[in-house]
This record gives sequence, structure tokens and C-alpha cells, in this order.
Amino acid sequence: MNTVITARGVTKRYHDVSAVDSVSFSVRENGIYGLLGRNGAGKTTLMQMVTGQLVASGGELTVFGERPYENAAVLSNICFIKESQRYPDGFKVRHVLDSGRILFPRWDDQLARNLLRDFQLPLGRGVKKLSRGMRSSLGIVIGLASRAPLTLFDEPYLGLDAVARQLFYDRLLADYSEHPRTVLLSTHLIDEVSDLIEHVLLIDRGRILLDEEADTLRGQVLTVTGPSSAIDELTLGAHELYRERMGALARATVRGPLDSSERSRAESLGLDLTTTSLQQLVVSITRSDAQPKETAQ
Amino acid sequence: MNSVLRAMRIELLTWPASLVWCWAILAVSFAVNLALFGIIHNNMTEDPTTGGVASIYLMLSIISSARIAQFFPFTLGLSVTRRAFYAATTLLLLGESLAFGIGLYLLALLERATGGWGMSLHFFQLPFMGWHNAAAQILIYVVPLLVVGAMGTFAAVIFQRWRTNGLFTLMLGTILVLGGVTALVSWRQQWTAIGNWLADQSVVALIAGWPALLAVVLAAGGYLAIRRATA
Repeated sequence: MNTVITARGVTKRYHDVSAVDSVSFSVRENGIYGLLGRNGAGKTTLMQMVTGQLVASGGELTVFGERPYENAAVLSNICFIKESQRYPDGFKVRHVLDSGRILFPRWDDQLARNLLRDFQLPLGRGVKKLSRGMRSSLGIVIGLASRAPLTLFDEPYLGLDAVARQLFYDRLLADYSEHPRTVLLSTHLIDEVSDLIEHVLLIDRGRILLDEEADTLRGQVLTVTGPSSAIDELTLGAHELYRERMGALARATVRGPLDSSERSRAESLGLDLTTTSLQQLVVSITRSDAQPKETAQ
Repeated sequence: MNSVLRAMRIELLTWPASLVWCWAILAVSFAVNLALFGIIHNNMTEDPTTGGVASIYLMLSIISSARIAQFFPFTLGLSVTRRAFYAATTLLLLGESLAFGIGLYLLALLERATGGWGMSLHFFQLPFMGWHNAAAQILIYVVPLLVVGAMGTFAAVIFQRWRTNGLFTLMLGTILVLGGVTALVSWRQQWTAIGNWLADQSVVALIAGWPALLAVVLAAGGYLAIRRATA
């Protein structure tokens, strides 16, 4: 399978702060990747480097086998939808659509028009007069209709209500299944996209904390609740990600899977096992990285 | 080349509006001057002369800088390279300057044919320009358009790259260079020599020749600055 993005030790420094700190990962062709992390974790900076908006301070970053910065051949295969996208004064929705048609080789005008109708965007409306949510919708329309082999969405849902967000997820999935491509989606709404994304990249304070198939994560991470001592006994040697204490009781997040004998032992120890949602997992891993396990409350 | 053309097509999407603005303002300026000198020209001893044509030069400078501010962040966000965007913008300015300059030349022809709109008015053809062969006369209109457009573009690119501090530094640098040159010339008592040199230059060289060099320097400087600019 072809690799679309390869990052080796990619770093972006601003003065003495590293927004992205020596990250290495790769993104395969045709998959929906979730780029997760807190505000200021480095998601946007990373996406800006991938799309040639920023140049890395260090490391090696290739997209479609070449460096993306000022590379017209690479960039023509990329569509980057971000919340902060600026539009020229005097641009109407139809001008933005015209731009998409001019700039993206695989642009599908029919799809764009269908999406405009779905999101109820009037062609003749000035972009400056659109509400926050309508501007987000416009970005989503461009991102999907571009059919770019590498499409990046940087928190594309600002101001969108739950119905419109669901519409985005549905349309993305529908068009993706017909026209497979690589999608990198950064989001805070982890629960909403947990069924959508196939691969998770978790970034915090400029470093990659997790780079794993979503399927692998789904059944494998467990929350164990019960007496601290019992948990210690169970998780001895297992990979514990995070622990919260409440008096004698504790709740630990453990990377599984547990086999049947381990499960029955947990039961006999009076421990409660539940699978951890992707969102809980992300919270646990991020917090356990932020503070030593033992000082966790 | 394709990516340059694509970038230019984006910039042309709302281009008719800026075109209309430029010429509408010039038309209003012309109409006001026509009315004003229509009333007073009988009492004047010299041919009525006005600088109203400067409005279109100012407008071209404004739309050139606005084009950078408006279209650079937009096109960069939609996967256009800085190089393609800058080449498209420069070509567009060249085309505009040429078209506007030819337009002004045709209006100057009309002005001469009508005896200065029936009142010896100099609106499009100003006395200091003289009157030359068609090519030279067109250059006299085109090159200053190019220069003011390049100045607007250059300042806007500096702002994109270094924001307000960049513009202030640019202003500071310009003052220091111009002031320094003035002081140097005064100290070396070279004003007479410079006056003689200027007097030796032809009108075409002064209005179209040397300024063309300035436009090239500004365009090259803008290219260097935009290569690392962000949206």
C-alpha cells in the first residue's frame, strides 16, 4: 500500500517553543485518519506543514514522495479545509465554487451543487454575509467536492449544529466509499467521529502519543474499576495507561486484550471491566502523559 | 505555467468590479474637471491643466495592494504556490498597466482632436509629458502605472510577510535612504551635477525609462519577500 505522508522527526519551532516536536508517522493511501489532541497540541501546525503553508524547522516531511513546500505538483493533489480560511471581499458562494473548479483537478461540480443544497447555501450570497456555521459548511462543500487525493479538515465543524455535523459525516463516508482517498480530520468531537475514523493519531504538546488503527483500539482498551490493591494484582506487568484514585477504590485504563483466564481472575478479584471509548482513551492517555501516574487524583 | 494561469483565473473572478471602480473614479474626476474649467476657463490666461488623471494611478496602486491582501491568503489556503500566485499577480498588473495606458493614450488622442474638449483643457495629456510617437507616448502612460502598481504590491507583500513591523521598517528604511542620499548630495555639493544630468535625460527616459527599472527592482524584492510569507 502506498504511503501518502511520511514524517521523520518533523519539528516546528517558534523561538524557543516547539509547536511540533520531532514527530514521526506515516499516513497510507486511502484511509480516514483522525488527528486528535487538545487545543494547542500542534494539530494545525502539523497540517500547515503537510500542506506547504508552513515550512518545517527540522526533520523530513514528504507528501506523495516529495517535499510539499512550494511544490505545485504535490499541492494540486491536496485540499486543506480550515476554520480560519479567508475569502476575498466581494466573493460570493458561487465564486468559491468557481475557484474549486479551477484549482482542483478532480473537482466534481455536481457533487458541489448537491452539497450546497443539502447544507442550504445560496449561490448568490456573499461569503462575508454567511453565518459561522454556513462558512464551515462552505468549507466542507469545497473539501468534499475537491475529491483531492489528500484532503485535510482542520476542525471543520465550528458553528455547525449536530444535524449539519451528521450530514458532514454521512456525506464524507458516502463519497469516500465511492471515491476512496486519504482524509486527515482533526477534531475535538472524538465520540462523534469514532466510528468514522480508521486510524488514530493523537498529538499532545507537539509529540505523537498514539498512532494506532482505530479497530485495534476499540475493543482493546479497558477500564478496570475496583479496590486499588486488586487492580495492582491484575495489572501486574500489563500496560497501564492511566489511573484515578478515589479512596481505596481506583479506576485504571489498561491496554488489553485480556484473555478469558484474566477476565475470570478480574471477576474473582471483584473488579469491574468495561471497554473504554475512544474519547475516554484519548483523555486518559493525554492526562497520563501530562503527569506521573502516582500523583493522579 | 498552468498553475500560474489557474491562479490568475481566480484573481479575475471579481476583477470586473475593480476595473469598473478604477474607470468610474477617473470618469467622475474628469466630469468634475470638465464642469469646473467649463465655468472658469474664459478668465484664464494659460491653458487649463489638471492632475485629475492621477486618480487612476492611485486606484491601480490600491487595487494592487488589495489584491495581495485579499487573494494571497485565499489562494495559498487552496493549494496554490506562492510562486504561481506572485507570477499571476505580476502578469495581471502588467496587463492592466498596458490596457489602462493604451486607454489613457486613446483619450489623450481624443483630447487633442477636440482641442482640449473645446477649452484647451489638459486632462489626459499634461504639458510636461510632451507629445511623442505612439509607442513612446503609450510607454509614458504605462510605466508609471506599472510603478505605482508595483509599489502597492510590494508594500502589501511586506505586510503579508512581516505585518505592521515590516511596513514600519520599510517606511523607516525609505526615509533613511532618501534622507541619506539627499544629505550626501548636499555635502558633496553635487546638486548642479544632478540637475545637469536630469536636464540631459529625455522626457521618455525620465517618465518611462528609469521608473521601469524601479518597477523591476520592486517586483524582484516582492518575489523574495513572498517566498516565505504565510497567510
